[in-house]
Amino acid sequence: MGDVTRIIITRLGLGLLTLLVISVLIFGAVELLPGDIAQAVLGQGATEENLRALRTELGLDRSAPVRYFDWLSGAIVGDFGVSLLTQSSVTDTIAPRFANTLFLAAYAAVIAVPVAIILGIIVALLRNTLFDRVANVATLTSISSPEFFLGYILILYFSVKTGMFPAIAKLSDDLTFIELLERTFLPALTMVLVVVAHMMRMTRAAIINLLASPYIEMARLKGTPAWKVIARHALPNAWAPIINVVALNLAYLITGVVLVEVVFVYPGIGQLLVDAVTKRDFPVVQACCLIFAATFILLNLAADVGSILTNPRLRHPK
Amino acid sequence: MNYFVIVYYALLIGGSCLAAYFKRREIFLALFSLTLASFVMGIVGGQDALWAVSIAAGLLALAAGTAYAFREFLVIISGTETAKALRTAPLTASFGMFVIFTYAVLGIFAPVIAPFGEGEVISQSFAPADENMLLGADQLGRDLFSRIVYGARNTVGLALVATMIAFVIGVLLGMIAAVKGGWFDQLMGRIIDVVMSIPGLIFALLLLSIFGTNLIILVIIIGLIYAPRVFRLTRAVAGNVVVMDYIEAASLRGEGMWYLIRREILPNSTAPLIAEFGLEFCFVFLLVAGLSFLGLGIQPPTADWGSMVRENATLISFGEITPLIPAAAIALLTVAVNFVVDWMLFRSSGLKE
Repeated sequence: MGDVTRIIITRLGLGLLTLLVISVLIFGAVELLPGDIAQAVLGQGATEENLRALRTELGLDRSAPVRYFDWLSGAIVGDFGVSLLTQSSVTDTIAPRFANTLFLAAYAAVIAVPVAIILGIIVALLRNTLFDRVANVATLTSISSPEFFLGYILILYFSVKTGMFPAIAKLSDDLTFIELLERTFLPALTMVLVVVAHMMRMTRAAIINLLASPYIEMARLKGTPAWKVIARHALPNAWAPIINVVALNLAYLITGVVLVEVVFVYPGIGQLLVDAVTKRDFPVVQACCLIFAATFILLNLAADVGSILTNPRLRHPK
Repeated sequence: MNYFVIVYYALLIGGSCLAAYFKRREIFLALFSLTLASFVMGIVGGQDALWAVSIAAGLLALAAGTAYAFREFLVIISGTETAKALRTAPLTASFGMFVIFTYAVLGIFAPVIAPFGEGEVISQSFAPADENMLLGADQLGRDLFSRIVYGARNTVGLALVATMIAFVIGVLLGMIAAVKGGWFDQLMGRIIDVVMSIPGLIFALLLLSIFGTNLIILVIIIGLIYAPRVFRLTRAVAGNVVVMDYIEAASLRGEGMWYLIRREILPNSTAPLIAEFGLEFCFVFLLVAGLSFLGLGIQPPTADWGSMVRENATLISFGEITPLIPAAAIALLTVAVNFVVDWMLFRSSGLKE
């Protein structure tokens, strides 16, 4: 196991390093602002006095590296500073919304992952048949559609025409779990449609790749029944690519969530980010970007570690 | 039972029988399972459901017919070499080419095709369609059809320019990294790793919040965000070419780096690069549309598909589908490009074996 542990620790270290570099990027990007934050907030007509006052208040009179380490050490313990607009703590604004976003992503993932993997394996087994071709066109169409297109189609048919589900995902504290699932069904379904298509295509490619390998042919030639070929020979080697596919697509969910939240007016972190960008509320933008990037890197790391752990060649070194 | 239902089932069952007789197993299976499914749909959804199926089938047939005719047309007007390749193109690919061709015509001749200007207010807000306005008016009383036509020029044009920027930067750096190797290659690889570990949309939002939503800045930002993906592919493709004997021969001859890139590596990696251009275009196009939808991309009054969806979204709650047309236009073009790219990838992988 020594080899595997070392590889995993290296990967984790690299991931952490990447995150650090990204935090520098996110912080440094705001420093690139023409003028500075105080100028951007107060506008061109601001008097020198007001500017100076705001600069002292925001701590802009200190050098950039000092402020960076201040910001970073705050971010590590979950303190992202104060919003420029509302003067309230960024963390307090983000925390409940981040929970909502995670809930939505988890909801979508719970539906999408099993469906996509099962369909992907079926399509791979039926490759080059009419069913496969139809599935190919259907998934391609779903991938190519912008999330807001799928979202509005679902609103039109499931909400406006039939009234089965609410079009706007309004959340409140007194909802039961079932009501919550119903309220958030359409946004979750939108993400499911996109992610299932991606995942199916990737699973299909991975499985077909695998089925072309010589040991599968050998198993077939010696007369092993088809289900046993899949269960005993293909599946143990398929875990790595499948875990990769799942983690990559969950990472994709994180980005897709921004547009979906805006379409369904869902109180999540994506909508907060878009609002903050429009209003140029930099502490909120920085915090949201850092959280998104961290989640993205974490999931990619999980993909790496998962595929290492499930790789029989790495687990049983010669 | 009325005539429509009788004709519907007669056609389906007759078609299945013919397919079975001519031993076309897949067509038979598809038609007959559609027949069986229609029984259920007919009972649950009534005649409307059957109408929907027939309309969908008719549209599909129309698309297939157009694609077939367009492919024949292309085969006839092109030279022998291209014609040979085109003849093997699947219908999906030629359908994609047809759609791209249509969009190109729309974009180039937009002022001629559109009955009104893109910012021209001609009626009341959300006025319904009449003989003047094909699709009705938008939230300010501008002709929706004209704006969709102009959108083909603005949205697609912007995405094309951004893709080209990404491509020039990515291909150039990728080629240099492959030829030079060493520290430059390593450094570029690490930088690209970091940039690619930030989700594209999030990165774009961060940069837009800082630099504001200016068209030129938007194009450059998107180009920079997608350049790393092009770099990765170019580096991989060129890496395979660089180890060839003829490259070694050329460098022993004393040829410089630019000669190697221009005359030896680039001609030998065009096929995957063209396919990658199509794929990149899809990503960039969806990102542009997404940003415009969020109100952070192309700014009004310039007609743009993403922002048109957002502006007219209120109509959806009245059961209107007009706001979905620009969104469908985005989806259709992306699907079309993907179809063509699929075929090209298949061809380039088939030729290698």
